[in-house]
Parts: sequence; C-alpha cells; structure tokens
Amino acid sequence: MTEVKNAVASGRESLKKRMQSILVLHGYGETAYHLPVSFALTGIDVRDRASSQDAYLRASNNPIIAAECLLSEKTGREGKEPSPYTGFIGDTVLRKLGYSLVDGSILGLALVIGTPANEGSAAGICRELQEKYMLTFLAGGVVPALQQSGVKLGLEYRLIPLGSTGAHGVHFTDIIARVAMMFGGVTPGDTARFLKYAAERAKAIVIVFPGLTDEEIAVVDAMRVLGFPIISLGDYRGEGWVEAPPEHAVRQGMEAKGIRVTVTAIPIPMGCSPAFEGKSIRKEEMYVEFGSGRSTAFELLTMRNVGEIQDGQVTVIGPEIDAMKEGSANPLGIIVEVAGRSMKKDYEPVLERRIHNFVNYGEGSWHVAQRDLIWVRISKEAVAKGVKITHIGKLLASKFRMDFPQLLDAVSVTLITDEKKVLAARKDAETVYEERDARIKGMRDEDVDTYYSCTLCQTFAPNHVCVITPERPALCGAISWLDGKIAYEISPAGANQPVKKGTLLNARNGEFDGVNRFVKKASHGEIDRCSLYSVMEYPMTCCGCFECVALMLPEVNGIMVVNREFKGVTPSGMTFSTLAGTIGGGAQTPGFAGISKNYILSDRFLQGDGGIERLVWIPSALKEELKDRLQKKLIGQGHPGLFEKIADETLATTIEELTAFLERAKHPSLTMKPLV
Amino acid sequence: MGSDIRFGWTGAIGSVILGATRSEGGTRKISYRVGGGTTLPFLDHAPASSPLVALEICDEPQYWPQIVRNYCGDLVDDVSAWATTAETVYGADLIRLYLTSTRQRNFSDIPLVGKAVEEVLSATGLPLIIEGSNEPGIDSEVFQKCGEAGEGERLLLGTAEAGRYRSIAAAALAYNHSIIAQSPIDINLAKQLNILLREIGIQQDHIMIDPYTGTLGYGFEYSYSAMERIRFSALKGDADLAMPMICSAIDSLTIKEVREADTAYQDEMAVAWEFYAGLAAAVAGAEIICVRHPKTVGRLKKAFTSLKTGSDPTGRI
Repeated sequence: MTEVKNAVASGRESLKKRMQSILVLHGYGETAYHLPVSFALTGIDVRDRASSQDAYLRASNNPIIAAECLLSEKTGREGKEPSPYTGFIGDTVLRKLGYSLVDGSILGLALVIGTPANEGSAAGICRELQEKYMLTFLAGGVVPALQQSGVKLGLEYRLIPLGSTGAHGVHFTDIIARVAMMFGGVTPGDTARFLKYAAERAKAIVIVFPGLTDEEIAVVDAMRVLGFPIISLGDYRGEGWVEAPPEHAVRQGMEAKGIRVTVTAIPIPMGCSPAFEGKSIRKEEMYVEFGSGRSTAFELLTMRNVGEIQDGQVTVIGPEIDAMKEGSANPLGIIVEVAGRSMKKDYEPVLERRIHNFVNYGEGSWHVAQRDLIWVRISKEAVAKGVKITHIGKLLASKFRMDFPQLLDAVSVTLITDEKKVLAARKDAETVYEERDARIKGMRDEDVDTYYSCTLCQTFAPNHVCVITPERPALCGAISWLDGKIAYEISPAGANQPVKKGTLLNARNGEFDGVNRFVKKASHGEIDRCSLYSVMEYPMTCCGCFECVALMLPEVNGIMVVNREFKGVTPSGMTFSTLAGTIGGGAQTPGFAGISKNYILSDRFLQGDGGIERLVWIPSALKEELKDRLQKKLIGQGHPGLFEKIADETLATTIEELTAFLERAKHPSLTMKPLV
Repeated sequence: MGSDIRFGWTGAIGSVILGATRSEGGTRKISYRVGGGTTLPFLDHAPASSPLVALEICDEPQYWPQIVRNYCGDLVDDVSAWATTAETVYGADLIRLYLTSTRQRNFSDIPLVGKAVEEVLSATGLPLIIEGSNEPGIDSEVFQKCGEAGEGERLLLGTAEAGRYRSIAAAALAYNHSIIAQSPIDINLAKQLNILLREIGIQQDHIMIDPYTGTLGYGFEYSYSAMERIRFSALKGDADLAMPMICSAIDSLTIKEVREADTAYQDEMAVAWEFYAGLAAAVAGAEIICVRHPKTVGRLKKAFTSLKTGSDPTGRI
C-alpha cells in the first residue's frame, strides 16, 4: 500500500528540482494553445526556460505544469514515441473529440494510468468504458497489457494510447484544457473559470493502476483540483483517492462524476409505453392480482445514498409468477430504492406516485391507487408471453432512470411476494407514510421563501402565470409546490421556475413584491399585480385548466364555487363552461378565480375576501366529495354548522332562491363587510 | 407622426454575423451583420438594412418541389451551377443549402456531404445557410462534416430543435458557426431552447430564432402571433429571446392552391404565395426570409426597399 500523501510530497519535490534543469523548450506544433494547461491556468505562452519558470511559479508549483513542461522538453529532445502512442494530440483531432463530447456521442473522458497486475483486469475495465460511451486515454504499462490481451487500440475504438509512461498522462489534462478554451469559452489565464469548467463541465475520471512514480502520483493527485475523481485499484490510499475493486471501478468513477448512461430500451417481454396506460385488465383477462383487500400489498419508494444500491438491480423475494395459481390474489410489496446526488427526501412521495404510471405503461400490467391501498393485476396474455414478477421490477427500474436522468443515478427494485415478509415490510412502510404525512401537512406558505411558477399553459393562454405555493396548488390541481420544485430541479429551463417571494406587501391578500415582479415578467408585461389569496383584488390569471371557478355573487355578499363536472346553471346565471369561456385565456378578472378542488380545503382559501365564511354555494357532488375534510376544516376554524349553511343546486338554483336560503340559514356572509 | 416609435422599450435585438470575407478569415465576398433592431421593422429607428432574402437549394432534387424543378430545369441537378445562378441571376442575398441527399434511405456517404458544402462554397461568394440531416441517426457525422467543411466561413447551421440540438451545437462550437433554433410556434419553447443552447455553450450572438413558419392560409397567423410576441418580449428586455429571426414558409410551393393552379399561372401563384408569406414574416420582424421560387427573390427585395422608402409595398414599382 502506498500512502498518497507521502508520495505526493516527494513527487512535488522531485518535479520542482527537475523544473530547474529545463534549458530549452520546443513546445508542440499542431496547436494554437502552446502548452495548454500552463496557458489555460496562467495565460502564459510557455516557450522557453524563463516562461516555464514563470508559469510554474504563477500556478504555485502545480505539478501538472511541471509535468507538462518537462514532457514537452523531453519530447523536443527525443522526438515523439513510435506508434501506437499518439503523444500530444493536435488541435484538429481534438476539435473532433470535443465535438463528440458536446454532441453527446461520448459521455465523458477517462484516463487509465499505471501498470495492471494482471492483463485481464485492464481489458475488462476498458471494455466497460467502451460500452458506457467513455472516451478513454491510456498512459503507462496499461497499453502493452491491453495489447497482449488483444484489445484493439485507437480513436475508432475510443481507446487512445497517449504514451508509454505514466508521465504521458499529463496529455489528458492538456486535452481538457483545450476543450475548455475551444468549447467552453474559457479565456487563457482565467484560472477560476477554467477550474470551474473542468469541475462542472468536463466529465472526466481517472482510474489508477499501480506502478506510478512519485512524480506521476503528484500529477494525478493534482487532477483532483480539476474535479476528477481518482479511482485507485488497490495500491494507493488516502488524500481522497477512492479505492475500488476492478469490477466496480468504472461504475464508481462515473457515479462520482455524475456521468449517466441513458437507458433507451427496457429488456422485458412486453410493450411499455404511455399508450397502454389507459388500458385496464378485466377479471377474465387477469392472470394474478395483488392487493385491494383481496391480499396484502403496498408500495414504497425511498432514497438511499449514492453507492449504497446497484443501479438496475431487481430482486424478487418469494414465489415467482409461475408458482402462483391462475386467478389468485397474492401478497406483494413493491420497494423502489433510488439514489442520486441531487435526490432529496422530499421528493420520495412525488416519485412514488410514478409507480402508478409506470406499471400502467406495461402492456400487460395494471395498477391503481397508492401506498398500502394499491391494486395490481398482470394479464394472462402477458404471462403467456413470459412476463414474470421480476419484469415489473425491471420496468420500474428502467422507467425511473429514463424519466429522471438528471435526478437519479441508480434505481433498484425489490418485489416481495412472501406473505410474512410483505407484512413485515408493510409495517416499516407505514411508519414512513406517517412521517411523510406529518412533514407535508405542516408545510405553510410562510415556511418557504420561494414559490414556483407554472407557465405550461402559455401555449394557449399566452400571458397566464400560475404561482404555486405550499398552500395553494396549481389551479389545475395537478401540480403541487413540491412538484413544481422537483420539476424545476429536473428541468431548470422548463415551465416551472422558482419565484422569490420578496417583500410582503399585503398579508391578507397574499401580495408580495417578488411575486409581482415575476408575474409581470412572465406575463410579458401584461399583469402588474397578483394576490395569491384573493378572488376580488388582483386575482391570479386563469388559463383554462382550472378544476373549479370561484366567483363573487354581489347579491348575497358571498362567493360560490363550481367545478368542471357540474353541468347545470349556477345561481350566477351561468354554467361552468360559460364562466370558463369568460375568464380563461390568461386574463386577470377581479371577482373570478380559477382554483383547484383541494384549494378549497386550504387555510388560505378566500383569506383576502374575508375567509371561508364567504362560501355560499357549491355543487352537491363536490360538497359530498369534500364533505369530511371540509367539515373538519370548518369546525377547526371555529365555524361549526357552517357546512350546512352552504347551499347547493338541490337547495338553490337561482340567485333569488339562494338569497332566500341563505337568509333562512342565517349564513354569515349576509352580515359581512360588503364585497364590492 | 410625433409618437414614440420605440414605445419605451429598453431592449435591443442582438446581432449575428453570417459569412466571413477574406479579411475575416473566410472566402466570402460579403458578410452580414443580421439583427440589431431596437423597434419593429420598417420604422424610423430600425436598422438601416432590409431583411435579407435567401434562396433555398438542395443537393438531391428528388426531394424538391416540382414547381421549382420545372422552372429551373436541369439547373437543379448541378448544385454548384444552381448556387452561382442564385447569386448572379436571381439576386439572392444568401443561399440556404438543404443536404437532401441525406434523406435517402440508409444514407451513409458522409464525405459527400462535405463535398456538397465545399462545392457550393466555391460556386458562390455569398454567405451560406446549411441544413444538415434530418435523420437523428446520422446527425452527429453529418453536422461534424458540415462544420468542418465550412470552417472559417461563419455558416448558419440548421436546424436545432429542443429534442435535437447537440450535434448542431457541437458543430457550431467546434468550428465557430451560428445556428438556427427552431421551436413549434411557441414563445416559451423558443426561449427554453435558447436557454438550453446557452447552457451547452453557444453564445447568444450565434443563434437565430426560427419560430416555425406556417404557410399563408395554413397557419401563418399563428406564426405571426408567435413572432410578434417573441419580438415584443425581446424589446421589453428579455435577453433569451433577443435574437434575430429567420423564416421559411416551406410548404408554400406544395399547397393545393399552387399544385392545382392552371399550368399557365402556376409560377405566378407559387410566387404570390411565397411573396405574401415572406412579406408578412418580415413585417412581423424576421431578418432573413427564405424562399424557393427564384422569381420570389427579386420581388421581395423590391418590396423591402419600397417599404423603407414608403412606396408601393406590393413590390410593383
């Protein structure tokens, strides 16, 4: 075992000494970037002894600069190494390499350096790098080792032998430096920008075999500053070098650098597409089912640390489908574990809801409900084609990776079909559900300083801007604050953008200067002010997707709500569709607001207009749907008996009938401050 | 008039340089700085230059509208001669070369692409717009080749879309060309694509917006509205939309009205359809108008001049 720290110290010392010995420098032809690392880091065109000393000093004796100067001096003296070694790669070839990087036809760059103890391990690693679309550079004993194993080398094989010694590994950094200057707009000498580019944009990893000199160790170690993970295959320890067995080296390196291989095909014997989402599996088409009271079933998605789970791993605990009787109900636990560096615990429930969509994407699999209420079926047709329980796992693992490439690095799925184990695991899952409920329930608008916008509907409502807060979901009901947040993190240039609240202008109406600023810009200058909690003053704009319309009824000094499903005429004299046509299209219409059903249950509902006591009429079906939760809410807010005072179409269909009813019921709105 | 024709706007449209002359490192006779406007087109403070007119040609005429093939005859079989004629006879400001050869089934002759670009570059001194493959499988190689063949010439490469922009972006970055960013008649998608391009490293002065141009009578009004909104946003200060625009009402020559017109009037009908769409697109703010019928070129240029000088806007001077 070599301690990296000691080797680096001695290597730096020796490089420093040898730097003094440089007398003449030739530099390389075929490049406009001189000695590229020196040029990028210091802006100095190193061409002779004096400028090399200057650059070395300026970069605080950076070992990479020393190695670059020394190798250039040596190449000048001795000439290029013979084929297959490439030595310094000229700008023309580099442009093409850079092209493939930007283009995405290669995912990243790897340097494999040193001398493998046995030939086979190098071949395995390089094959894996090729399979994962990495462009690999080789320096040192690894090159002859690969040749002896019969591995073909060259640009067309994405395996480039730089040189015969570890010292040639420095060309890897001169390549990165030039890519930064050619493609990244990095100005020579702008050290900070170069380091930022190398760390954030250059998807580079280093895999180290044993047999490096101390100088070479110092150079490799200096690459950590560029943000390259250094994966050591056993011989080196310390200084943040990651030790890994050969079979995990590539995966660990790529995970550490966040390089993701995109999944394109799902290896299962049934079709998988949103096209199948709406297709249900009827009893007579079903081979087996799980859950819905007939058997125990649940699903749970939890987050793990990167490296704790293996991507794509699917485990079935208990009997497979061929051991299940046709037509039977069986226990099932679906446990999805995900890992990713930007993954957060808060995202778990949102991602968990995707299990529903994904299972339904399968041509022969069907899923309803959530958590421990799920109901899953697999069709006879699918089973006849060879679909097994494990394939549901494969489908989930692949779809999560495909749909959330930025968020997830690894997804593994465990499917439990053993009754006892399902029961035990469900117990744990229930604890998680409870914790989640507690966390989301407590979330208030004042707990966060950022809301999220949604401008998805601007395609047809050009100036519409939804502002989504923890207590006010999007008016379509489909996007919560958390969904908005995740959507933004997954697609930072997308339709959901963060909205800084800024200074509070009007607490009652929920007006903030930051929100106003955002809405003004996002509505292309059309809307100046937006109150989050008022129907009457500067209400939010409406696209056309709202689940309900809330509107004022000045005759009764109250506000009514009608949902999309209600087809009749409301006491306002208009049907839902007439109202929708009147207020939609992205306009701001005081007295009218598009809202989601769940918003009716929010503490913020009608806050700016005097509170929930303004609510005078909702359709009976909606009333029934919300009944338990709304009653609880009203009692909680100190309005026992108010629920019964809210009219519906069975009690009043015209404004006259409504007035009469409200008077009879002594509805509080009648005596409140006038709305207009 | 006395009214403020800048309407209190604070933004300006960025400019994109197309083509490079010898002194700029290329071989073009002329280069253009497109964009730079601070108000709507054809008003006082608008940039001095009129919109540019590009003639679209291709390297494999079987994919080209019959009406152009009839009008141009054998010329369409010789892409070099076609390019030369576009410049010297038809009077185009720019040439937009569609590499239609790449549309052939299982196309794999990538060097042919480079050859076509080089041939057209030597046949004309005008700046070039190159439309590469529209087959994702060969994008990478095709755009790499286009970029390389035109190195130093500051080409305009097309066409990047939200799901498919990496190869074009790579070619633009590697060989210093500009790119066309197309979104399907949607201001937000246009903006999103520009942001994606910025994130991959494309400078704003290397992007032209293609709002997607529906043909007159076949959805042009949607394009017009999208362009109007893109331009307003830019003038109001949205830098992610402040790029010049390029329009090509590409289906004008294949619509029913043109196809089924009496043979005697077919050319006239075709030209009229391209002309009015192009004129309207210029009024909505497009800096480059692309057409396929040679006769439309001169007519549009006349119209633009007369709009500048206030004479008959139909171009019948």
